[in-house]
Amino acid sequence: MSDSATVPAPPTHAAAQARAATKIYGSGDTAVRALDAIDVTFAGGQFTAIMGPSGSGKSTLMHCMAGLDRVTEGHVFIGETDLSTLSERDLTLLRRDNVGFVFQAFNLVPTLTAIENIMLPMDLAGSKGDTEWVDEVVGATGLADRLEHRPSELSGGQQQRVAVARALAGQPQVIFADEPTGNVDLNTSAEILGFMRDAVDEMGQTIVMVTHDAVSASYADRVVFLVDGKIVDEIDDPTPERIRAHMNQLGA
Amino acid sequence: MLRLGIKSLLAHKVRFALTASTIVIGVAFVVAAFVTADSLRATFDELADDISTGTDLTVRAELPFGDITEANRAPVPESLVDDIAAIEGVDAVAGGLFVNGVIPVDGSGDAVTTRGPPVAGTNWIEDEALGQWYLIEGERPVGLGEFAIDRSTYEGYDFEIGSDYQVVTPQGPRTFTLTGTMQFGFPEDAGIGATFVLFDTPTAQTVLGFEDEFAEIAVRAETGTGVEELQRRVEAELPPGIEVITAEEASEEFSDALGTVIDFLQLVLLVFAFIVLFVSTFIISNTFNIVLGQRVRELSLLRAVGATPRQIRRSVLTESLAIGVVASAAGLGLGMVGSLLIRWLFAVFAASLPPGPLPLSGRTVIWAVVVGIGITVVSSLVPATKASRLTPMAGLSEGHAGTDGRPSGWLRPIFGGLLLALGLVLTGFGLFGSFDGATPRLTTLAVGAGLVFIAVAVLSPFVAGAIASTVIRPLVRGLGTAGRLARYNSARNPHRTAATAVALTIGLALVTVVLVVGESLKSSFRDRVSTAVHADFVVTSDPQTGLPPTLSHDLEASGIGTVVPFDFDLAQILIRTGEPQSWELTETITAAEFGRIPAVADFGVTAGSIDAAGTGVLLHVDAAEEYGLDVGDEVTLRFISGDTTQVRVEALFVNSPLWTNWVLDRSLYERYTTANFDEFVLVRSDIDDTDEARAVMDDALGGYHQAVLEDRQEFQDSVASQLDIVLVFANVFLGFALLIALIGIVNTLTLSVFERTREIGLLRAVGMSARQLRRMIRWEAVAVALYGALLGVGLGLLFGVSMTIAIPDDFIGTTTVPYLWLLLIFAVSVIFGLIAALFPAFRASRMNVLDAIADE
Repeated sequence: MSDSATVPAPPTHAAAQARAATKIYGSGDTAVRALDAIDVTFAGGQFTAIMGPSGSGKSTLMHCMAGLDRVTEGHVFIGETDLSTLSERDLTLLRRDNVGFVFQAFNLVPTLTAIENIMLPMDLAGSKGDTEWVDEVVGATGLADRLEHRPSELSGGQQQRVAVARALAGQPQVIFADEPTGNVDLNTSAEILGFMRDAVDEMGQTIVMVTHDAVSASYADRVVFLVDGKIVDEIDDPTPERIRAHMNQLGA
Repeated sequence: MLRLGIKSLLAHKVRFALTASTIVIGVAFVVAAFVTADSLRATFDELADDISTGTDLTVRAELPFGDITEANRAPVPESLVDDIAAIEGVDAVAGGLFVNGVIPVDGSGDAVTTRGPPVAGTNWIEDEALGQWYLIEGERPVGLGEFAIDRSTYEGYDFEIGSDYQVVTPQGPRTFTLTGTMQFGFPEDAGIGATFVLFDTPTAQTVLGFEDEFAEIAVRAETGTGVEELQRRVEAELPPGIEVITAEEASEEFSDALGTVIDFLQLVLLVFAFIVLFVSTFIISNTFNIVLGQRVRELSLLRAVGATPRQIRRSVLTESLAIGVVASAAGLGLGMVGSLLIRWLFAVFAASLPPGPLPLSGRTVIWAVVVGIGITVVSSLVPATKASRLTPMAGLSEGHAGTDGRPSGWLRPIFGGLLLALGLVLTGFGLFGSFDGATPRLTTLAVGAGLVFIAVAVLSPFVAGAIASTVIRPLVRGLGTAGRLARYNSARNPHRTAATAVALTIGLALVTVVLVVGESLKSSFRDRVSTAVHADFVVTSDPQTGLPPTLSHDLEASGIGTVVPFDFDLAQILIRTGEPQSWELTETITAAEFGRIPAVADFGVTAGSIDAAGTGVLLHVDAAEEYGLDVGDEVTLRFISGDTTQVRVEALFVNSPLWTNWVLDRSLYERYTTANFDEFVLVRSDIDDTDEARAVMDDALGGYHQAVLEDRQEFQDSVASQLDIVLVFANVFLGFALLIALIGIVNTLTLSVFERTREIGLLRAVGMSARQLRRMIRWEAVAVALYGALLGVGLGLLFGVSMTIAIPDDFIGTTTVPYLWLLLIFAVSVIFGLIAALFPAFRASRMNVLDAIADE
């Protein structure tokens, strides 16, 4: 899948892509190259996992692609929009309207009910959203009877499902999930990942997930491996065993 | 642990600065109060020394009662000067005169006025050492047509030596030629802002109304004659009723008299200072609570690695001690600046205080340090103890930040409810119970009000969230999600909302009380004037040195109608209404012509009648009741001159808006006292056309530059506006308490933004714009401010209205609630909230989204 084109030409089918994306922290002798001229494309309607050892740059890649951080060199696209051309304010609007987020923890605003959290990006935009779609997403969470509850009254798994629903509700071009199951037990983890898988399969959504867990990554259509800020490998239709094998190879 | 406390401070400079600033303002206020008072004391002590320099003895009439600040002494005969000069050991003798209210008018037609210090006429004593008058420019005035003025007035107004100017004397306006300028005390002295008009001695006697008399006589002893020895010799020669005092005694008496006034000023300033400090304690305690709440993890880690509870407590107290030390030092500096500010405030709104040094005494420094450190450390005691009780596990089980703090337990509501009930019962009893006099009634009310206030403070956390989020609801409607989040956030931590709002509540409750009582005073005064005064016009004086008696004669001569001057003086009243009951009172009596009173005023006579012959005394019913007097009873009056007379109570009256409880006929009064300035003049016009009447009177009053002619309505308005000045003063000083409250909101909000870092990061990540974020924080602040205002105005109304009901009807008969002002308070608190949010909102919107999300 890796594309070696250096001149940015946004492909029509890509939900998000990076072109020669480089991120450097610090300067001079202490400069760290967190991302090293990465080229990657996340196709629409696909579930992609980004894996790599600690410090490989997987979180940095996600942050830069999601418009939370800026690349030092190169370009990042959400759909056909080049993020490096956007002002801070436009970047915020892009996040609100075109990107969904699921974090590892602290995903929900504690003062808002579940449904208010789900509607938050649309409320911030002052739009009602697509009511039918929202109903479908809410239905898919299986939390119809808990919508008026506050986050503190929900279990960890329920909280993460609400977070995924919030990411889905605005029909973003792409959803970024940062270790969404990092904080929960195995059963809950399966529940959340299953929900995300369904969102891709049945609702046609695009999800990019950062994880270090092979079982979690096996829910994806495709796994991209990062080491030292470079994409070193990738596999399609992964199983936990294949992923572990690749990981061991990389670690060796 | 000491280093830990200090390091923690340095790591949070903003928090440190905000916390300290509340103490700095309070300490500065205390320092400013002391420095201002000390500065005045120093100035007047110096003046007291100047006054008696060169004079060894002063001979003057005894003051049979009262003290020098309220009574004018009787004059002494001029012949005494020669008698004293003949005494062995006397080197020099000179008679002196001094009359306040002699007003020069400069070349541009501007009358010289001061705010407070005298504008006085006096005689130029030729013996420089005795008189302390030094010629600066020109020549001494000689004869009936000449005068001189003090140097600073000469420089400040349009005067030129050699030209003719008008001076309004007790004998009416006269024209004099200015011959020179002079300086009192020492040639290099700057003066104290007083204006002096000097004549030679015979002219002064004529012009100031001291024919063959002096106010006092200054005596210098020959070298070699002891002052006390000479005092004994002079004393032996003096007729009864005349006394002789040494320079030392005179100087001391002067300082003491002014000292009482300065002490009062100092007390008033300190009361405001302590209100400010009281409010600060809530802010500091609240800040420490929040900060320690945020440091639970750090503190429990310390406990885990072996810090004892005692060490934790000590580290917190060290931190507060450091804040106290820095704040006290800064407060000292700011206090010096503050005393200049107080001086300026006085100059703008009331009397100008004389310029002087700004003495920083040891007492002031000790107060600053004790108050600054004491209040900071005491406010942090409870938070420190709470922090020391943390278990090493506390940090691990911490939930969502900022959702704790909901009030719990049953003790608090029951305790609060009981207090509230008790307070309300006491207030009700204070209002409607029967009391013997106003003082026990007001005391009962004050205790009741205090209990109600404490009860409200105790119960506030239970309602703060609900009320704050409700009052803000109509304001944030239409502001979308940011508004909704602001509303939710204001209900989020009721304890904190309550603690933050309490400072504003106290400040605004006091402001409301001042407004309600002040407005009620004004409207009561208006009502009383409308009922009792029928005059068409009122003449008063500005500066308030009184009106020369010639003024009413000139008005009378203009043919305007009935002119009735009113004069006040101090007199002693002896009442023997049957043994063993007897009283000896010192009262301000009013003198007015009985025959003319009905034309200008309705005294509301309830018994007897006002007889034009004017041989008796008119008495207010309250005083009659207090001393068991009735029409026909006799009382003995003793005047400042020492003369006494028996008078019969002629009538009892109920209305007294402008005059005192004891009223004498003018002819009787003038038999025993020297002609004085009149306090005010009431005029009933025979000319129907108001403009014409005004023109006639303006013409007659032309030369009297201190005279202020107003119709009844204008007069009521201008008295009300004088009261407004007092209200402005009180509210400016209370404004400092509000400033503290504002800082409190800034502080709490900054800290709560900090502890919600992750939440804010999340909101920003999912698309909240910086603008929406700022909007959310702004309205959170407004919610807290409005909640504080609601409680404050509510309590203020309760206390203020209660006070107006409890205060005797002679002062406040009608309760007026200034609704517009109260509305303004709410508007201002909204603005307060918006201002308080500026910094925290700015900080929040500047947070890096990525860092915020990653925040632990």
